[in-house]
Amino acid sequence: MAEKLRLKIITPEKLVFDGEVEELVAPGQMGEFGVLPGHVPFLSVLFPGRLRFRTEESGENTLIIHGGLADVKDDTVSILTDKSEKPEEVDVATARKDAEAFQKELDELQDAEPSQIEELDKRLRITRARAGE
Amino acid sequence: MPSLKQITTKIKSVRSTRRIMGAMKLIAAVRLQKAQAALMAYRPYSDAYREVVLNVSALSESDDHPLLRVPEEKTNLHVLFFTSDRGLCGSFNSALIRNMQGYIKEQKEVFGNIKLSFVGRRGRDYFSKNGVQTGKYYSGVNERNSRKFSEELAMALTEEFRSGESDEIVLAYNHFISAISQKMTFERLLPLSTQKTDDGGGESSSDYIFEPEKERIIGSILPKYVQVRIERAMNESLTSEHAARMTAMENATSNADEVIAKLTLLFNKTRQAIITTELMDIVNGTEAQRKGGNE
Repeated sequence: MAEKLRLKIITPEKLVFDGEVEELVAPGQMGEFGVLPGHVPFLSVLFPGRLRFRTEESGENTLIIHGGLADVKDDTVSILTDKSEKPEEVDVATARKDAEAFQKELDELQDAEPSQIEELDKRLRITRARAGE
Repeated sequence: MPSLKQITTKIKSVRSTRRIMGAMKLIAAVRLQKAQAALMAYRPYSDAYREVVLNVSALSESDDHPLLRVPEEKTNLHVLFFTSDRGLCGSFNSALIRNMQGYIKEQKEVFGNIKLSFVGRRGRDYFSKNGVQTGKYYSGVNERNSRKFSEELAMALTEEFRSGESDEIVLAYNHFISAISQKMTFERLLPLSTQKTDDGGGESSSDYIFEPEKERIIGSILPKYVQVRIERAMNESLTSEHAARMTAMENATSNADEVIAKLTLLFNKTRQAIITTELMDIVNGTEAQRKGGNE
């Protein structure tokens, strides 16, 4: 069993992170899950949320990811996401306001298309993750 | 022999053309740089996506999801053909079209019916006059709107495949290798190959954990995968186009330089000839006068 996990976070715009981590926690669709070295092959669809990982050099790291998927195989974790942001770069107050607005919109939404609800739900989750809720 | 005036006019016009081509070269170079950076960033993402999808589809049966379906008969082939909207990019489009013709000929042996859809005006302009069945047509694709276009296309194409209207969908585009080299590529988009990989790595469906269950994962990542592949092809094609245009304009600029040099030489020679003739006239004239004065 390898001691470390290799984590790759890839977005269409750039390779956000490629390095060794000791552990990571990701927002899976079926709930948050943690990955340690020696994990069995695993594929999960991710919700927008906060991805946390620990490296030897920089300790705890958090990234906001906009959904995507996680592929765990041979101690390599590939996170493919549309977009990722650093929490310190986010304007929390605006994100909170946006989250409230989306929540309200979602509550008021009636007999809409499932895809429309899904889209709005995704946006809500993104803003919530950005607001740190 | 042309007059001096004619030559100067010619030189002037070549100079101004050269200036335009030089500017176009610079523009293409800047756009190439940008497109190339975007492409290089996009490649790891789409490659990783491809790997995941191939992995999953290798662990799946063809009836797990409509997009994994392997059609029993190969009747309808749909090719999405990427060219540029505008010319002045050397042999970029003509080479693509030539390869495409060969490909159509080849595939006619296999498929009963071949349909072409286009991204870029040049390809459509050519094939719409050539008796090939044509489908959708998109123009005005650039680096900023490729996401939107690819989403639209992906939706239409997956639907077509799902409904059985097309049995195979192929992307035909220029693969960007370097600023001076691009390679035309035909890539099968759908159906995904469900063949197991050769390395026979002991992975089997039971070893892999899927969350949520496999069918739902496939349902959510396959359509996205199609979009990612199309966007990748768009980026490859755009980058290649800028590279081709830059090279073409560079060649044109140096050609113009050559022409200008030749014309300048001609101008000097002509001027010299005129001066010589004039001198001869003067000398002859004075000679004649002198002789006349003596008598």
